[in-house]
Amino acid sequence: MFFSRRLVVIALAWTVAAPAARAAAQSSTATLSANVGTFAKLTVSSASISFPEADPDAIPQIPALGGPLVITAKSRATPNAQVVLSVQATDDLRSGVTVIAASNITWTVSGGGFVPGTLSTSSPVTVATWTGSGIRNGSQQLYFRNLWTHPTGTYTLSMTYTLSAP
Amino acid sequence: MTKAVWGSVLTAAAVLLFSNPVYAQATDTANVTVSATVSAKAKLTVGGTASFSDADPDVTTLLTATSAVSLDVKARTTTNGNVTLTVLASDDLSNGTDVIGIGNLTWTVTGTGFAAGTMSKTAAQSIGAWTGGGTQSGTQTYKPVNSWSYKTGSYSTTVT
Repeated sequence: MFFSRRLVVIALAWTVAAPAARAAAQSSTATLSANVGTFAKLTVSSASISFPEADPDAIPQIPALGGPLVITAKSRATPNAQVVLSVQATDDLRSGVTVIAASNITWTVSGGGFVPGTLSTSSPVTVATWTGSGIRNGSQQLYFRNLWTHPTGTYTLSMTYTLSAP
Repeated sequence: MTKAVWGSVLTAAAVLLFSNPVYAQATDTANVTVSATVSAKAKLTVGGTASFSDADPDVTTLLTATSAVSLDVKARTTTNGNVTLTVLASDDLSNGTDVIGIGNLTWTVTGTGFAAGTMSKTAAQSIGAWTGGGTQSGTQTYKPVNSWSYKTGSYSTTVT
């Protein structure tokens, strides 16, 4: 949008200045326009993560194998608009009929705009926020709360990351 | 020429008017699958020792250990899995060739799920039972039967 306005200013300047030379020449008007719309592109370094078995006394918070997720968020937004990266679990951790609440998954972060949080099934949780357009990089280290009360099993859930650029 | 100038201005104004579009919010998504492995696990911590002071069998028919043994049980199992804590003596209480039958050793307990009992060297005896994983804490106080028939000495055994 900002780019379009600049073109219009140029067009205006050109059309106002043209009459001085137009005494001996044919004039014509050319309109240039370029639409720069909002755009969002999100890249997460891995499509899956896993938490290994561990002694709850020794490792009360199990870090995901493979280290942090590396996140790249590219966004083109209106000036001063808030770009938001959020994540929401589609369901709790499930192993057959046995359930462990998704809130047992938490994360720490690195990178400007990124914030730590706790996973939820009921609402998106903010992973990062920024103002305006740009390319942002950060990482998210996920942890699984390791409790003696967790029933045995192999549990899975799916998380959906959403990048919004208004 | 004036007309041309005004035409250009109007054209530019029209461009300006229509060059401020309202764009919809852009979004992009990514899905990540999470898996976690939770395996069965058990951890037992026994604290303290059981020792007994001598006493008149007519006055004190049941000796009481000078201190209780602490029992911390941690277990991870299936949702309705049974967690059991048992104890088994390796042999009778002995002092050289002198023996006191291990069945003379009883105990009381504190703590949810813990149970009083009598020691055996042939079959494991239950001290506690629970359903599902978690942590449990209690105490066990050993109380051997005090008898005139015991030969004097310092007796011991090992329990597991």
